[in-house]
Amino acid sequence: MLSVKNLRVVFNTRNGTNVAVDDLSFEINPGEVLGIVGESGSGKSVACYSLLGLIPSPPGKIERGSAEFLGEDLLRMSETELRKIRGLKISMIFQDPMTSLNPYMRIIDQLIESVLEHQKLSKAEARERAIRALEEVGIRDAETRIYDYPHQFSGGMRQRVMIAIALITQPQLLIADEPTTALDVTVQAQILALIKKLQKTHNLAVIFITHDLGVASQMADKIIVMEKGKLVEQGTTEQIFTQPSQPYTKKLLSAVLTTSKPTSSLAEKTEPPFFQVKRLRTYFPKFSGTFIKRLVSTHKAVDDISLTINRGEILGVVGESGSGKSTLGRSIMRLVDAQSGEVLLEGRDLLKLSDSDLKKSRHNFQMIFQDPYASLNPRMTVFDTLAEPLLVHKLATKNNVVEQVNQLMDDVGLERRFIRKYPHEFSGGQRQRIAIARAIALKPKLIIADEPVSALDVTIRAQILKLLLELTQKHQLTMLFISHDMSVVRYLCDRVLVMQNGKLIEEGATESIFAAPGQIYTQQLLAAIPKI
Amino acid sequence: MNQELLNSQHVEQGVSLSQDAFRRLRKNKLAMAGLLLLVCLVLIAILTPWIAPYSYDGQDLSLGATSPSQQHWLGTDALGRDQLTRVMYGSRVSLTVGFIATAVALLIGVLWGATAGFLGGRTDAIMMRLVDVLYAVPFTIFIILLTVIFGSSILLLFLAIGAVEWLTMARLVRGQVLTIKRQEFVEAAVSMGLSPWQIISRHLIPNVLGPIIVYTTLTIPSVILLESFLSFLGLGIQPPQSSWGSLISSGVETMEEYPWLLVFPALTLSLTLFSLNFLGDGLRDALDPRAAKD
Repeated sequence: MLSVKNLRVVFNTRNGTNVAVDDLSFEINPGEVLGIVGESGSGKSVACYSLLGLIPSPPGKIERGSAEFLGEDLLRMSETELRKIRGLKISMIFQDPMTSLNPYMRIIDQLIESVLEHQKLSKAEARERAIRALEEVGIRDAETRIYDYPHQFSGGMRQRVMIAIALITQPQLLIADEPTTALDVTVQAQILALIKKLQKTHNLAVIFITHDLGVASQMADKIIVMEKGKLVEQGTTEQIFTQPSQPYTKKLLSAVLTTSKPTSSLAEKTEPPFFQVKRLRTYFPKFSGTFIKRLVSTHKAVDDISLTINRGEILGVVGESGSGKSTLGRSIMRLVDAQSGEVLLEGRDLLKLSDSDLKKSRHNFQMIFQDPYASLNPRMTVFDTLAEPLLVHKLATKNNVVEQVNQLMDDVGLERRFIRKYPHEFSGGQRQRIAIARAIALKPKLIIADEPVSALDVTIRAQILKLLLELTQKHQLTMLFISHDMSVVRYLCDRVLVMQNGKLIEEGATESIFAAPGQIYTQQLLAAIPKI
Repeated sequence: MNQELLNSQHVEQGVSLSQDAFRRLRKNKLAMAGLLLLVCLVLIAILTPWIAPYSYDGQDLSLGATSPSQQHWLGTDALGRDQLTRVMYGSRVSLTVGFIATAVALLIGVLWGATAGFLGGRTDAIMMRLVDVLYAVPFTIFIILLTVIFGSSILLLFLAIGAVEWLTMARLVRGQVLTIKRQEFVEAAVSMGLSPWQIISRHLIPNVLGPIIVYTTLTIPSVILLESFLSFLGLGIQPPQSSWGSLISSGVETMEEYPWLLVFPALTLSLTLFSLNFLGDGLRDALDPRAAKD
């Protein structure tokens, strides 16, 4: 049905020509699911966007190639002709359901927009069609909900709406660009199942773009693996997973975490415990009115949480977004104020420290943030970033700070010569290494890691996790590791704590939780791990 | 090997953003041209008492207004005063007012806005309400009041202009700081145990430099023109002293008969403005490591 041959897309930038897609060929038949797998920057999205004329041009340019779709070459079509294909015969689902819907338009208007554009239908017929489309993607009370605005839907529901919009014109080909990457794991599993079901009932051809081989294995009939714009390997899903021939494919496969923690740590129980949180509550009151503030409601982000971590232990905190796990970490760091409770590090209550005492003892507990693109000051070189905490806490003098920073670079596996560069000159994985170096610079007793790998590609993720594991053993670090991904937690953590709606619902050693989850919610989280 | 040695020395000095920025600025030809022109203007302004061809109040009533000639390159005004000399003397007043008043506005505005934005909450509310109140004071009445109480002096001029120009700067900086302080690198700085002042000076202000610089380059010319309005009200400089603003406003009155009296001061002001804008753009790019081409 669609046959792409020798596609080459380049971007002409100030720094020269950047080849985004090079000599790519693939084809897809009706009713088939093609998975395009690769890391970010491998050109997998650009390839699909260029088929529909959706890449910015200039700087983008399709240099060579053809794309036969139902007997016509998409790349030779005029903009007007393409518009008749886009949305009618080929639809797209985008990654972020929070930004891909127009917040000022009712769902129904967004649903029938493309129907009215492409097909001669009356408003009433279009409305009927919209309701049916919403029902099909599993939204209840579709007749009333079509008049809602996007913000009245949750992330998963919005992605369902996006799918309904994509399918309402009954296209023959659906391009799904990382449709579940921005979603929680349990929601991801539901959405994947939905796409699979719709694909079967409509006999759709689907191009499924993802960086996650686990997801690809669930969805695709055949897979192409891309690296740096080039096709590395292609074959049926089974071939790719059982007999990968290229080293890059093998590397991707090995990055899928299926193993438990390689070595158990030397956690020792002490009395009093090394680190303890007692009945911690962090509430966010909501007020209304500008002058006279009236308490409307209280959001209990962290509700009566108690936990202990022994020295040298890694405790995982798992939960979906909104479960309060990040707020827990930030309350311990005193980045947000807790209502009540105690946070005891070696018997000292961190919540009771005065501002000046707090500043002085901050070197004892450090944080690694989720997004390495936001957590580094763009105007400071790596050297300045790493030297700052050392100099502020007088752990280094002007004379030996260079040596110490170099040491840190070695620790996190970065070359010393990068020391003068700015954050934007590094890749996401390298930036996270810098952020980790900054956190361990002060030799903290406790590190709180808030989803440190969820913004990273799978192969990079595996490297960073390995680094964290090495560092915890080398420096005897104690860590609170916050994550939504059970496979990551299994690889890294000794014990796990499951949170839901601000409450602790289950706690135990990692392997025993995996073997016998006690709560339904934990079972759902575990079931959501893509299996190979 | 040599290169390596060089690099290691660089590291030991701890190359700061400003050194890095200057290196990048030097590569920007347009910005360097602007800087050169500004330096020339400032030099001329400083040296005016020694190099000016005539005295600024020397009248030659028999001459009257003449068009540019060998003796008077830029012509003379209705009282027979040499226009070149008056523009040169005018630059002393205008550039001083432009730079000092803007510097005052910059200093107060940036610190005020950054502090309010970073501390937030009640402190922010009080600090910004004060700005609102000052905004609401009618500028003309404020100036007339100042003149009545203190008489006319150039120092008062700086004060008056500084007192109004910093308000906008404070609002601008506060808005920028509000968006930046939500970013994780500021939280990281908090969790490292930095003091509020260290966070504001090292993490917040460097990241709002872009808009600050652009706004500054726009403020300087507007301050220069504001001076002529204030002088008209009796605050600031009085005839026979001159400034670009007063030369332009008197030039406008006679623009049909003696166009050169308007053209030359206006041209000088425009040149200054262009140089400032080019330099400002260059500085903004140079201070942003991400915009670096190398």
